Amino acid sequence: MTFLRQRLLFPALNHATLLLFLGVLAVFGALSPKFFTAANLTNLLVQSSSTAIAGIGMTFVLLTAGVDLSVGAIMFVAAAVAGKLAQGGAPLPVTLAAILAVGLLYGAFNALLITRLRILAFVATLGTLYIGRGLGLWITQTRPMDLPDGFLALGAARWLGVPLPLWILASVLAAAHVTLTRTPFGRRIYAVGNHLEAAKKAGLNTRRLLASVYVLSGLCAAIGGILSLAQLGAVSPTFGANREFSAIAAAVLGGTSLFGGRGAVFPGTLLGALLIQSVENGLVILNADPYLYPLVTSAIIFAAVLADATRNAWLERLGRRRIYHEHG
Amino acid sequence: MNRLPTNYELPTTNNQQRTTNLLRSEYLVLFLCAALFLGLAPFTPGLASAGNAINLLGNLLPLLVVAVGLTVVLIAGGIDLSVTSTIALTSVAGALVMNGDTGWLAGTPLAVPSAIALMLLLGGLVGAFNGLAVTVLRMPAFIVTLTTMMFLSGLAIWLTQSKPIAHLPAGFTALGTRLWLTLLVAAALGAFAHGMLTRSLFGRWLHAVGHNARTARVSGVPVTGVVIAAYVVSGVFAAAASVLYTARLETGSPVLGQRLLLDVIGATVLGGTSLFGGKGKVAWTFFGVLFLTLLDNALNLLGLSHFMIMMVKGGVILLAALLDAWRALEVRRS
Amino acid sequence: MQNSHPSRTTNHEPRTTHHDQLSFHAITKSFFGVKVLKDVTFSVGAGRVVGLVGENGAGKSTLMNLLGGNLRPDAGAMRFNGSDYAPRDPRDARSAGIGFVHQELNLFPNLSIAENLFLDGFPTRGPFIRRGRLRDLAAALLNRAGLDLPPETRVERLSSGERQLVEIARALSFDARLLILDEPTTSLSARECERLFALVGQLRAEGRSLIYISHALGDVLRLCDDVVVLRDGEVVGQRPAGEWDPGRMVSLMVGRELKRLFPERAPPAQRGGPSSEQGGPERGTPLLEVRGVAQPGVVRDISFTLHRSEILGVSGLMGAGRTELARILFGLDPCERGRITLAGEPVAGTPRRRIRSGLALLTESRRDDGLCLEASLADNLALVTLARYARTPLRLLHLGGLRDALAKIREAVRLQPRLASAQPVKTLSGGNQQKVVLAKWLLAEPRVLILDEPTRGIDVGAKFEIYQLIHDLADRGAGVLVISSELEELTGLCDRILVMSHGRITDDLSRAEFDRERILNAALPG
Repeated sequence: MTFLRQRLLFPALNHATLLLFLGVLAVFGALSPKFFTAANLTNLLVQSSSTAIAGIGMTFVLLTAGVDLSVGAIMFVAAAVAGKLAQGGAPLPVTLAAILAVGLLYGAFNALLITRLRILAFVATLGTLYIGRGLGLWITQTRPMDLPDGFLALGAARWLGVPLPLWILASVLAAAHVTLTRTPFGRRIYAVGNHLEAAKKAGLNTRRLLASVYVLSGLCAAIGGILSLAQLGAVSPTFGANREFSAIAAAVLGGTSLFGGRGAVFPGTLLGALLIQSVENGLVILNADPYLYPLVTSAIIFAAVLADATRNAWLERLGRRRIYHEHG
Repeated sequence: MNRLPTNYELPTTNNQQRTTNLLRSEYLVLFLCAALFLGLAPFTPGLASAGNAINLLGNLLPLLVVAVGLTVVLIAGGIDLSVTSTIALTSVAGALVMNGDTGWLAGTPLAVPSAIALMLLLGGLVGAFNGLAVTVLRMPAFIVTLTTMMFLSGLAIWLTQSKPIAHLPAGFTALGTRLWLTLLVAAALGAFAHGMLTRSLFGRWLHAVGHNARTARVSGVPVTGVVIAAYVVSGVFAAAASVLYTARLETGSPVLGQRLLLDVIGATVLGGTSLFGGKGKVAWTFFGVLFLTLLDNALNLLGLSHFMIMMVKGGVILLAALLDAWRALEVRRS
Repeated sequence: MQNSHPSRTTNHEPRTTHHDQLSFHAITKSFFGVKVLKDVTFSVGAGRVVGLVGENGAGKSTLMNLLGGNLRPDAGAMRFNGSDYAPRDPRDARSAGIGFVHQELNLFPNLSIAENLFLDGFPTRGPFIRRGRLRDLAAALLNRAGLDLPPETRVERLSSGERQLVEIARALSFDARLLILDEPTTSLSARECERLFALVGQLRAEGRSLIYISHALGDVLRLCDDVVVLRDGEVVGQRPAGEWDPGRMVSLMVGRELKRLFPERAPPAQRGGPSSEQGGPERGTPLLEVRGVAQPGVVRDISFTLHRSEILGVSGLMGAGRTELARILFGLDPCERGRITLAGEPVAGTPRRRIRSGLALLTESRRDDGLCLEASLADNLALVTLARYARTPLRLLHLGGLRDALAKIREAVRLQPRLASAQPVKTLSGGNQQKVVLAKWLLAEPRVLILDEPTRGIDVGAKFEIYQLIHDLADRGAGVLVISSELEELTGLCDRILVMSHGRITDDLSRAEFDRERILNAALPG
């Protein structure tokens, strides 16, 4: 591979999402003038906040080369529990706390299955996905559940002119970013994802590190669920369906590698979530057939994963040991 | 001996050893089926009736076909999450060709054979795509097939605007409604897969690649070709299962098989095919499918709501994975 | 600082004075009944650099593993810093103040230098890393290690030489009083080597001790105060550096005794197979011709000829490129230039095609890519030749034929009859496992068989049987290429030996010219 190609293609792969995002913005902006209005852009941010937060949690998991397929189910169960409590007359703060608690517990259960019982991550979370969906359907008795107005108020509230969901997104994003870049815990996550054996040799408590990311994913899923509820105001039987997919997409589009050890929540995952949402947004504005959305989304995700795999293959080739040096 | 590999000690006869031997036996799931049946029959109205047996068989056979296809991929060390969407897409595609109202070949004698041929071809193409992405493009199998699953499902829904296609010719639907025909097809496919896995060169190569792809490559096995072929088999079998499902439903449905993913993976892994590759048998998958179908059947008869059943099945898949991990550990320890 | 003279004989009187940093006393260690270290006694004075030299397999790694707490000695004792030293795990070694810089680097390329250095002990304020302090601490260490790079640099951007210096910096981070450098210069450029040497001098000036393990004998003599030579697990020489010269060192490393471990072999002229047209009764016809094979950074200028009925050895130190060459010849790794022909026909393409041309490769690590450990004996044996027993691509009808062939080959390699064909291969001993791999290839009736460390990790009895099998194969007209790190094995087994160093062939000796010193010299760098 020539040096020049290396200089061009590698950064292109690394910043694929940014390029894609700008590309999408350009295309949709050109196709419809309504795209670039302030209202639409703020709307875009608010709509993507739920996916972005779930994606942030997923980023932690992917950094360790794991995966959490139960994110959508977590949202559903948490929302169902909250709904039941609210119907029983519990005040808003209690229901919110319950959602977070469900997320933490669910994540801890996943962590147990994966780190103690040594079940492969994707099978374990696939199993808990079904258990969760079943649980949620049982709680809601398959009927849509209306939530008290407090939730919608949360969604519509503004503080200093900025919608509350954006404040929540910003806080979660900041906390995650700081954790990943400035705490020992965060840096060790990168080490574990890069090379589990070496991390063990270096004396890190890899089991605890691996368990934590699933708990965090559960928590983020719960928070994302709250924001979703704030927009919808109700829990339908399909609440949270396929959200794990958009969370993974947001992270991978943002540059997080499925192979572990590489990725960032800011700007990465945030951009990824924005990209997914803006594609959907743009399709709506263009009055495209809504049945096209999953097709477009999966195609984009495929492209992102392909870029990730290609980069990984190149890195592997470059990392091979040299027997001799050309220049002494 | 039908045992999974042990550490070649002389067997002791204490209870712990017997339990371990039972857990290690490849007939474990068959025993579980028997236990399940005998345990629930007294409480479950209609479980032991002939009518129910026919119902059970009708559910079991198409599931078996798709699970056998998945077994092939698992043996090669891969995973295919897109089988259920393949079922949906091929169902729709076949229906589009042969349905009585708007079918492209409606009314002609070639309608049914062409429809079936198209379905199988489509399944194979999906498999080839998955296989290429996993081998040549080096993408992780689970995310590739997850993405494909989304795409195909979306495609099926888009093509039909989420509306099922009815009025399929009788010659086709007989395959699903006449149970003996279904049995014939399923048995033939099962026998074919069994023969391929146990007696053919390809089957041996599959196992080798699943055990250790590096060794296989050094030993001259065409690893890329073998893996792609495995995914093609999975796709074709999913399409074949779709034929049976669609025939039974007498409708081409874009959401066909949506709830099946758990059943397919759970049944295959429970039966003994390993997620780690290199190990799997058609007979084992049959045991797993039998167990899951029996469980589903019994729970339905007991009046459990479908979400309760969903939870139970989720638990079963976790149990299956646990068993798989335990077996792998046990073998490694010896 | 004074230094107590290490004993030169096998006198085991512990002569530690308080000036000695580290001392070994009659250390003995065996693996599976084979003595790997015998009565090893020497000491390292405070502020002294001791060079440890010896061939591959002389016992250096085992000794260092004992020191590092990965293994425990069967007999003997160690003393460090004036007290008894018996580490139970690497952490004990570290807390005692012993720092290892291994050949295999354990860094995380996706983290910065500073983060790698303090991964399990970040300076923190509350939950956060104190970045400024981290940078300063790291910079100080890097400064001492002689690496002039910003601590925030990601390790993935460093050359291997720079990474090595980071490892050294890491050993310094916990104030190691004794540092062990294991082959530190193998991946270093000349400039980086100089930096390393300067660092060694500096460390010594700080009163630290060093054990310097290396094959670069010139460097060893230059840097070290004393040199200890190990051979076959014993200390055979121990002197201040000034009293050595490379020639004497090599002689001692190589030793003079030849053991009768090899089956008798008729000289090439008397063996079966056509005599050469090229003149000279000792050579058969050319079989495998390799011309100008090169892959940048891996191997260069590889040209040699392997003849019929010839056993050609490839010697060299670890990392010389021998395994890489084997993989290139077999088509597992790419090669940019060069031509390979087998009996005049070009050899190219995938391993599958090369196998059809008549090539076979027994890889360096049977566990990694020689066997399917969980699969049965029979499945492993049949893996290469399976296709021959398939009627059409679909059927494997000739199971009977396959079974017969397997039974025959089992007998031919003298695989224990009591082993069941259905037994998973992982339950077999090392020797039997290797026989299975060899049998797998013999079934394919190869014209050229490449063996990479064929007797690694197997017992003496099985070794002999494998040597016999190699002889038989050659006698039947095949060409055999044997890569081995055991000089003795090569000199006993081969008709000719090629020596590789740094990716190229440095010497070519016929049997009459076999001289272990010459071979070792050709293998050493520089």
